[in-house]
Order: sequence, then C-alpha cells, then structure tokens
Amino acid sequence: MKLVVRLMWAAVLGALFFWSWNFFFPAPQKVIENHLKKLARLASFSATDGNIKRLADTERLGSLLAEKIHVVLDAPGLRGETFDNREELLQAVLAARAQAKDLRTQFTDIGIRVNPDKKSAEAFLTVLAKIAGEPDLIIEPLKFTFQNTNDDWLITGIETVKSLR
Amino acid sequence: MLTIGRRPKRTLLRLLVLVVAAVVIFKFVLLPIRVMGLSMEPTFHDRAVNFINRLAYIGGPPQRGDVVGIRLSTNTDGPVQVMLLKRLVGLPGETIAFSSGHLLVNGNPQEEPYLKWLNPDWNEPGRSLGSNEYYFVGDNRSMPPERHEHGVAFRSQIVGRVLLKGKL
Repeated sequence: MKLVVRLMWAAVLGALFFWSWNFFFPAPQKVIENHLKKLARLASFSATDGNIKRLADTERLGSLLAEKIHVVLDAPGLRGETFDNREELLQAVLAARAQAKDLRTQFTDIGIRVNPDKKSAEAFLTVLAKIAGEPDLIIEPLKFTFQNTNDDWLITGIETVKSLR
Repeated sequence: MLTIGRRPKRTLLRLLVLVVAAVVIFKFVLLPIRVMGLSMEPTFHDRAVNFINRLAYIGGPPQRGDVVGIRLSTNTDGPVQVMLLKRLVGLPGETIAFSSGHLLVNGNPQEEPYLKWLNPDWNEPGRSLGSNEYYFVGDNRSMPPERHEHGVAFRSQIVGRVLLKGKL
C-alpha cells in the first residue's frame, strides 16, 4: 500500500513538473498557437464595443505583427487585397471595424511547422468568420509565416490558400 | 435505491468500453460532418448530416465518382474539422476538361448520372493531372463556374470517402 501511495505521489509530481516545464518554457509550436488564438480573439468585435476598446484591440493586434508584413488576401469581399506593412494593415482593420457591426472569428485546423533553425515557422489554418446580418459563414484557409525576433514570434506574412488549384 | 443490474461492475465496464469505442470511432474513423453550401446539390443538401470514412482507401486508391472530404490546405499535419465535400472526377495522369458543363476525360465525354442541372457556360480547357493529383468538382453545375470551387488537389489532401450515399 505504501508503495502504491508513493507511486501515485511520484506520478502527481511528475505531471506537475511536466506541466510547469511546458508552462514556463513552452515549445515554439505552443507559443505560435497561443499567438494565433489571441489574434482570432482580437480580430473579433461586438456591436456593443466602444471606440476605445476597438482601438485598444487593434493596438494589441499590431503587437503580434512584424513591422514589415506582407499580406495577400483573396476572399469574398477582399478580392486581391494586399498590404505591405503593419501600419497599412492596421488602418484597414480599423476601417473594417468602423463599417461592420459585429464579427466573430475563429481559427481551426491549425497545423504549425517550425523550421529546424527555430527562427521561422509556418502555420496553416482555416478561418471561420461570422458577420452580423450576413446569412453565410465565411470559411477561408490561410497560411501565416512567422519570424522569431528577440524570442518573440511575430507574423511576417498572411496569405489565402487555394484549396483546389 | 438506484441499481444498475445484477452485475454493476460488468455493466460499468461495458459502458466504459462503449464510450471508448465511440470516441475512437467518431474521432479517428468516421468523422461526422454537416454539409454547408449548395455545390453538391441535389446529391447532398445544405445542412445534411453524413460521415467521412477515413479508412475507405486502406484497401485501394480513390476511384472516379467517389464523393470525398478534402483538406483545405496541402498541410496534412494537425486536425481536420473543416473540409470540402466534392466528387472525384479525374485520376492521376488524365486530362480533364468541361464542355457546356459535361465532363471530358482525355477528350471523351463521361456518363454522370448524378448530374441534374448544367450550365452551358461551363467550358474549361483540358488540364493534365500529375502522378499524385486528382480533380474534384461538385454535382451542382448550374452554378457559374467561377462561384463553384473545383480543381486539383493532392492525394494527401483526401481525408476519406463519404459514408452514406443519398440524402439525410
């Protein structure tokens, strides 16, 4: 019985150690996944949000992006939109927020590949977006490219992906 | 007093086995799906329920006419919750074209009993498929071709074959 209790304690301590290690020293994939989830949250907004909140969320969204970011979007309502730097993209985001009342964004099917040098990475995901008043859900596959700058993974590129070529 | 049979331990064990089997089957073997959109009408309606059989191609490669689930990107790592539902009409090495909505394989028109509506403006030149490429299109060819997602994907993007033929 004593052995069983000791084994249980060892298992609990082992699990605690494993969890703590992953919490304080997360793998690059986990960091990038958390960035993407934060991006989806910040990209969403509600009709009841005030202008200050929308501005603050846009600023926080900007902190996830590299200054030189290349964005190519080819989705319904965004045919052929390109942006070449963070400021341009954030201006477009603010303008879009001023026009739309409510947007819910979710990223799903996230697959992340970190390059062996651990300085760059790619993430493929599917965006599910619902605009208030629109009957259809927007579903678009996207590819994100990341660069590790001063131990921070910043987004350097976003492009829509053609599912069927 | 609540009782769960004469042999509660056995009942609980059976319940546990059932739950584990259900989780394994519906997470890894048969993916439940809900169809969204009109591109597979009239074969599959919008909001219809079905399953994608991930083990369908263990015994052999995909065949022309199969309705399959396709990953949205070429990255095959990671989970799949959203996919395209399309019919496979072109096999590796073939040349696929459309003439007034009719499918041509290597220049030969194909029988397509699942087609009900055709858009005579649906004309596309021949497209040769590589050794690992398949051509996919929906059954609703009354839609303008530019609004109907169709084209080439790699074998690795095929998640599985739809389980239930017809409408639910």
